[in-house]
Amino acid sequence: MVAGSAFELLWLVPALPLAGALVNLFFGRRLGKAAGALASALMAASFVMSAALVVKLLAIPSEDRLVVRHLFDWIQAGSFNVGVGLRLDALSAVMILVVTGIGTLIHVYANGYMAGDPRLGRFFAYLNLFVFFMLMLVLAQDLLLLYLGWEGVGLCSYLLIGFWFDKTENANAAKKAFVTTRIGDTAMMIGIVLIVTYLGSLDFDRILINPQLTKGAATAIALLLFAGAVGKSAQVPLHVWLPDAMAGPTPVSALIHAATMVTAGVYLLVRMHVFFEISGIALTVVLAIGLITALYAATCALGQDDIKRVLAYSTVSQLGYMFVAIGLRAYAAAMFMLVAHAFYKALMFLGAGSVMHGMHEETDMKKMGGLIGRMPVTGWTFVVGALALAGIPPLAGFFAKDQILEIANSTGRNLVYFLGSLGAFLSALYMGRLVFLTFFGKPRSEEAEHAHESASMMTIPLVVLAVGSALAGWLSLSPEGRMSTLLEPVVGDVPAGAAGMAAGTLVAVAVTLSVSALLTAWVVYASGKIDWIALRVRLAPVQRMFARGWYFDDIYSALLATPGKAVAAFTAYVVDLRVIDGAVNAIGTMVQRLAGSTRRVQTGLVRSYALAFLVGAVGIFIYVGVRF
Amino acid sequence: MRTPIAAFIVLSGILFSIGTVGVLVRRNALLIFMSVELQLNAVNIALVAFSRMRGSLDGQVLAFFSMVVAAAEVVVGLAIIVSVYRRRQSIDVDEARSLKW
Repeated sequence: MVAGSAFELLWLVPALPLAGALVNLFFGRRLGKAAGALASALMAASFVMSAALVVKLLAIPSEDRLVVRHLFDWIQAGSFNVGVGLRLDALSAVMILVVTGIGTLIHVYANGYMAGDPRLGRFFAYLNLFVFFMLMLVLAQDLLLLYLGWEGVGLCSYLLIGFWFDKTENANAAKKAFVTTRIGDTAMMIGIVLIVTYLGSLDFDRILINPQLTKGAATAIALLLFAGAVGKSAQVPLHVWLPDAMAGPTPVSALIHAATMVTAGVYLLVRMHVFFEISGIALTVVLAIGLITALYAATCALGQDDIKRVLAYSTVSQLGYMFVAIGLRAYAAAMFMLVAHAFYKALMFLGAGSVMHGMHEETDMKKMGGLIGRMPVTGWTFVVGALALAGIPPLAGFFAKDQILEIANSTGRNLVYFLGSLGAFLSALYMGRLVFLTFFGKPRSEEAEHAHESASMMTIPLVVLAVGSALAGWLSLSPEGRMSTLLEPVVGDVPAGAAGMAAGTLVAVAVTLSVSALLTAWVVYASGKIDWIALRVRLAPVQRMFARGWYFDDIYSALLATPGKAVAAFTAYVVDLRVIDGAVNAIGTMVQRLAGSTRRVQTGLVRSYALAFLVGAVGIFIYVGVRF
Repeated sequence: MRTPIAAFIVLSGILFSIGTVGVLVRRNALLIFMSVELQLNAVNIALVAFSRMRGSLDGQVLAFFSMVVAAAEVVVGLAIIVSVYRRRQSIDVDEARSLKW
């Protein structure tokens, strides 16, 4: 552990966005348009601060690369202590650069996108608050502090999905996101309590270094933490909230539901990987869930017509790949994919927002087409992002996906390799469909014909992100991979294996798959040789199943919501109204009846009272006399 | 030659009974009040008689207390009767029966 004076300023990294949030929360309305400028400036300052600190961190020899700044004590109860401390190591360094860097670009973009909204100050306050909680999450030195950030980002996600709450569907989507993730969070809380029970602390320095746990205890903890990650990172079966979360403003979708918050689950698992390693079984569960999610969401993305929902399902699918990497113990590969994905998915969400702006808030791809000529910057940057996701070298997504598949192959997990490649093919297919339907072909509506390019405030972040998506592959370009070397002190080596095909063959297979998928998409949706609308009608049952996400929502509402509502109705209208109110009313009526018959005793006649008095006195007299 | 204790007790009992009947049959508040006083004094006689019998002064002290209380009670009671009379031009207790149920 190295104490450097510059690292004393680490607290400023989360404090700057928090300051922005507080100012905008209280004075946002008076600031008007300056609210966005203030929020973006503070984000940029936080990014510069992070970058400077990371540069300083990299100057330290890799085995000592850990800075812990204890700020103050939070909870002290006997031997159990929770302190508020910030931890900067290679892993959190990667995360704060992603959060503040991409966060800054999205803030700038939001200035253009949200212009004219009457609650601008409130929007930027929430956005800054989100960044603050996210930074606390990744910088926390203590699992409880991490959980605080975890819940905080959940709250901001709720507030921002429902930012335009005057529409019922937005408010419902916000509620759904909050409740669904809460299921995972509750499991995670239980996991944290288990860690306290077994290890007596939540401090990362004490629980992550060689924890003394039995296999069973480690499995329980790992699976409970994973349940939290499943909720936050929208994995099957708790993924249902993410597609609906697209009701929020597009910068929110880009920042929270693509680049940062949903990847918190990946970060959590990488941070806590020790427990998964002890367990072993937990890693297999992560691998299975990740693989199922990656394939499932890719098929759903194929069936969506709403441009943002395609991207949402694509995010779910890509997160699935990250969990596959974790399941393969390739933590550095997961983190690399997280960074690459943050770039290209934020880019595509912002691009989709730009398209919506140019199309008068239209999100239906059936009504788009040919936009590349009318919105060249948005269009071409989007194509870069899509190619990156589809896995075309030398863009970032290719390296990310290829690295994961290569590890699956070299460690002899052929089924994972095969299904992962199938998922990659599907990813390229839905990405091709999205791009060709939106940007190529002929315009299919009035709005598409008159679409216009967005302001430079919005297009400049697109260009920056496109450059990032194209070049992020550099992070793992060297044979060992820069990212894995960087993260090695935190997560250990990338598992190596000799099995499987040669690297060159793998690359050839991957590229062939991606290109053939893109070609298929072009033939179907843009060549004009195939009437895709007729095809869609012919395949209606499959199309409907994909569009509705394999009916997960319908199953949940039949299995959970409908019985839940029935029980609620029973307790509200039968138990409460009849039984509880009935009992109270019955007691009241009984007392009233009894009183009605006995109150006649009170005649108001003084002499009758006196007589009663006398009779009573005599009665007591006789009673006393008889007793003695 | 001392008067036997029974004579005082009988006198006390007769006075108490007269007072009790007076309270029960009279309708004039003042007369009821006087009857109550009669009952109190009957008890005082009994107290003094028992005190004499036992050769201790406790009973006589208690009789003084009861006189003091009776005096205070008369003050309050008469004031109530006067104000009832001012309000209703009558002190017939059977007529003042609005405080019921």
